[in-house]
Amino acid sequence: MSLRPLSRTRDLVAQLRRQLGEDDPMPPRAPLPPVELPPQRVFPSPSRRSRLADLAAAHTTALVGIGSVGTRYATDVVLQFQAELAVAHGAVATELPEEWAVAQGYVSLGSRVTSHREFLLRPDLGRRLAPESAERWAATCRKEVDVQPILADGLSAVATQGAGPALMSAFIAECEKRGFSTGTPVCARHARVWLEDEIGELARAKVAVILLGERPGLGTGDGLSAYLVYGPKVGNTDGQRNMMSNIHNRGTPPVDAARRLAVMAQLMLEQKTSGVHLDLSPRAAELGEAARGGYRAPQVRTRLVEG
Amino acid sequence: MPVLEALLPRVLAVRRIPGADPALLRAYGADPERHRSLGLITVDQDDPTYVALDEATKHARVDVVYARSFYAGSKHQSGPLSGEILGVIASDDPSEIDSALDAILQTLAHDACFYGANADSSIAVFPHVIASLGHYLSAQAGLRPGEPMAYLVAPPLEGTLALDFALKSADVRLLKAFPPPTETNFTAAWLAGDLPACEAAAMAYAEAVVDVARQPRDR
Repeated sequence: MSLRPLSRTRDLVAQLRRQLGEDDPMPPRAPLPPVELPPQRVFPSPSRRSRLADLAAAHTTALVGIGSVGTRYATDVVLQFQAELAVAHGAVATELPEEWAVAQGYVSLGSRVTSHREFLLRPDLGRRLAPESAERWAATCRKEVDVQPILADGLSAVATQGAGPALMSAFIAECEKRGFSTGTPVCARHARVWLEDEIGELARAKVAVILLGERPGLGTGDGLSAYLVYGPKVGNTDGQRNMMSNIHNRGTPPVDAARRLAVMAQLMLEQKTSGVHLDLSPRAAELGEAARGGYRAPQVRTRLVEG
Repeated sequence: MPVLEALLPRVLAVRRIPGADPALLRAYGADPERHRSLGLITVDQDDPTYVALDEATKHARVDVVYARSFYAGSKHQSGPLSGEILGVIASDDPSEIDSALDAILQTLAHDACFYGANADSSIAVFPHVIASLGHYLSAQAGLRPGEPMAYLVAPPLEGTLALDFALKSADVRLLKAFPPPTETNFTAAWLAGDLPACEAAAMAYAEAVVDVARQPRDR
């Protein structure tokens, strides 16, 4: 017998052959070749590990120095990779529930996107507010503020619903501690980074900060990113923004991130600029590694598959 | 002498177009508003492929936008990859095309096929029962998706006589008859009824074709 899905018609025809007096039965289905047992778990022995690969692995979360079995990856490496990819896919596929923002006490805004699929395919629509949202926001928001905080789903609603509210309130608290006026807390759905320009412009904010779920990497579906811009207005480019990524417990914890973001906002208010023109050196000590260009210490990989 | 040997269809070419040109989409009956990706397949047996295309609509979000048999069948094909039919499926998502093609290949390998009605299998019969229609053939047949249907094909005289026998053998009704000559010069019929009736009709059909093959002339 075969494990393949049965074909009803083939079974019926086999019966009919017997009725018609066929003495020879249908030819037996080709036997499956015997399946060999998998080999014992094979890991590259320590003596065969490359010292340079180990050194490199200490400085990155990229998959280096993982060894090989013949010409292939070891099974646990493949399983780990697939599990991490699944986490990333799951995070991108998650949608922020429509009522979530209001339940958290935020003003709920939406971009011009009409469906999650369209959100993924049309970044341009995710960068502008829906006319209804824009009108409502312009009519109700606090105006002429120093800092406009915005929470958004971005590419990982999982991250937004997880650490989002905590980061938002910690950031607002840090801003108020420094004496900045903050705008109405708002949460945007189906939002891309550039949506902060329109929201901030309507609130006539000096600095707009959008905290949103970042494009998931392997194994990190719960990371938030923050993008800050001085003088938000539609048409700003990425050169005018500062950003902080990997805000999650294995990267920059939300509490630290909130403080560093407030410091960045302070620098922007002092220097009246942002992006490549902003000089982070006056407060480099407070900013920690966020002041050091692109480099950040590698984070610890979480094992999703038991070795 | 063995009869009713399975004659397995051969898949000749399978290709995908992830982002097809709108003009091509329109030319092959797709809608550029709803479709973006195409899957193309040629096979040396047309009717199993129609069944497989229909099966695919149950496995993935695809539409069968084009499926036509070639004149005089695969023995007179225009090239070694032409076969007897070109099937085209369309979707807005290339990964749906992949899933649909998997379902088509699975059906062609393990389910739908012609059978030889005589010893050397030179007479072919397709007494296929579809337990649950997809949205492609159900629309063509005027049934609802999920209903059973018997899909019967044989050469001209064999098929005509067998259709009469099948209609008399079970509680089925004739949905659509395709008298010869069709593109491939076979004759076909679609019958509706409940599943046991469709099965009984299909087997009666096969039996009658075998009978004609054994005794082509009764006078």
